[in-house]
Amino acid sequence: MTTIELRGVSRWYGNVVAVNGVTLTIGPGVTGLLGPNGAGKTTLMHMIAGFLVPSRGEITVAGRSTWRNPDMFRQLGVVPERDSVYSFLTGAEFVTASAKLHGLPAPDAAAGRAISMLEMTEAQHRKISTYSKGMRQRIKVAAALVHDPEVVLLDEPFNGMDPRQRLHMMDLLHVQGEQGRVIVFSSHILEEVERLSGIIQVIVGGRLAASGDFRAIRRLMTNRPHVFLVRSSDDRALGAALIGRPAVSAVELTAHGLQVRTSDYGTFTREIARISREAGLRLTQVQPSDESLESVFAYLLAS
Amino acid sequence: MIAQPATTRDQAGQPESGAVIEARGLTKRYGLTVTALADLTVTIWPGITGLIGANGAGKSTLIKILLGLLEPTSGRAFVLGHDCVRDGFAIRSLTGYMPEHDCLPPDVTATELVTHLGRMSGLPPTAAKERAADSLRHVGLYEERYRQIGTYSTGMKQRVKLAQALVGDPRLLLLDEPTNGLDPAGRTAMLDLIAKIGSEFGISILVASHLLGEIEQICDHLVAIDAGCLLRADSVSSVTRATAALLVEVDDGIELLQAELARRGLGPVRFQRGLLVQLAGDATYDAVRDSVADLGLPLCRMEQRRHQVEELFRDAPAAPADPAVSVAPAMPGSQPTGAAGVR
Repeated sequence: MTTIELRGVSRWYGNVVAVNGVTLTIGPGVTGLLGPNGAGKTTLMHMIAGFLVPSRGEITVAGRSTWRNPDMFRQLGVVPERDSVYSFLTGAEFVTASAKLHGLPAPDAAAGRAISMLEMTEAQHRKISTYSKGMRQRIKVAAALVHDPEVVLLDEPFNGMDPRQRLHMMDLLHVQGEQGRVIVFSSHILEEVERLSGIIQVIVGGRLAASGDFRAIRRLMTNRPHVFLVRSSDDRALGAALIGRPAVSAVELTAHGLQVRTSDYGTFTREIARISREAGLRLTQVQPSDESLESVFAYLLAS
Repeated sequence: MIAQPATTRDQAGQPESGAVIEARGLTKRYGLTVTALADLTVTIWPGITGLIGANGAGKSTLIKILLGLLEPTSGRAFVLGHDCVRDGFAIRSLTGYMPEHDCLPPDVTATELVTHLGRMSGLPPTAAKERAADSLRHVGLYEERYRQIGTYSTGMKQRVKLAQALVGDPRLLLLDEPTNGLDPAGRTAMLDLIAKIGSEFGISILVASHLLGEIEQICDHLVAIDAGCLLRADSVSSVTRATAALLVEVDDGIELLQAELARRGLGPVRFQRGLLVQLAGDATYDAVRDSVADLGLPLCRMEQRRHQVEELFRDAPAAPADPAVSVAPAMPGSQPTGAAGVR
């Protein structure tokens, strides 16, 4: 099983500490790398990709160090954030060049395959300078995937893409992850990260703030009561029944239903159906209101 | 030519009263081959309207025509009752525009730039200074406004772009990708700001974005265009209306629940992390409640599924042939567009 491993990795530029003592393991599947602007995401990606040497610590991909190890690139595909394409080439030429640089036996065939995977076949013989931002983004991804790498790093891959291209890219990354590849991508659009991957690595101020399935991370935040929006045939009666339970800390009648705060997530979710049945009430909605990645991320930044 | 029929003149002549933007049969061709807009007819009413569409669908062309910067090949457009071809100047004095690309000069301060642009929009010097101070404060730039724009972060630059759109006291704002490049906190702040401008200042806003979640969050209406044609113009609430499917999620024991719901004849289908059942009146709710209570499972979500704006952009609303196809958790491709409801 291919993994990316970081052990005590720091990186500083002069007196500026960009990444600070990060230890993490990323396995097969799709992992989202999150953090505010300037948190150190790109620095971390560049170190994993072997573009930058860690000031301290060790990074391995599939058990081998990435720094000064060009052999590594046989297993690694990198999609940088910057517009790193040669605009005077056609899309096909660009991807074929990447295939040749990897020394693939049949570069044209490999390029054709990668281009069709990204649905760029129609535009492949046009100059890259005529491409839209979303098309340039896709040709970059095609070039990175041309040698069928086991590990793919993508820095803001959805930037500039329109809704349809976003959906397609999400499907593509998901399939790649399902096939056992290690896919790491950074994004600011939390709804997309939430849908593409439950596994996140959150970097704040150069440090790893959280790691793992964001739903599990949310459960660990015991100092934040969970909030549910509950609707029933009689919200007031249900509220009265709920406030008698030790798991429920607050109940509020709102225009949108009954807002319930619970400090004991496990007990509340196991009780809610039974309590409403015992009270003879029809339960029509149970909606967690702060379980989304958006709120988990905000909580992580606030703490 | 003189004896033009009255009906035609009525159709082409007067803009509809109350409409903020009106396009009638708007067509724009570049050269002979590229058609950016093809007979687009749409009316946009006051409020916050989202403009969505694929890259190259004609959004930028439409905005340029509305600002009177580009002449349509045929058809007409009105902004706030002014003809876009004849009254471009009047339109630009009533409209604030926030372009998508990074277009700010790095070597002036935000105050200088916004004041200057205020003067360009016709304000006298003192008023321009006051308005610039106001609009920079509205977008949340305080001490930073005396610094050179080149030293700003992406979020601050976006705020400057919004401030210069606001400085001329516009009745309409055209915002092109206002959250581009912002991190989550910056996005939330920008969206709150846009919603506030729309609701508190009563300025109509047309906002172009690729992020459909944002459109759902802040817009009242949306206009979707595809290949220069109108795909859909509707209120956001009707695009995201509830479906007849109930989504149920439990933290564990989903197989048990699926078996129990199947036994009760609800025909549950796996969807993302939970199960979808077809709503057939109140009995469905009770059956779900009783199943969960009998099995003692942790119920973490039960809600009616809503349609999503995104469905407008799905290639083919193909129903997953096999329920197993949709087992993949949180998988965008397996999202049935009402298909699960049919089952």
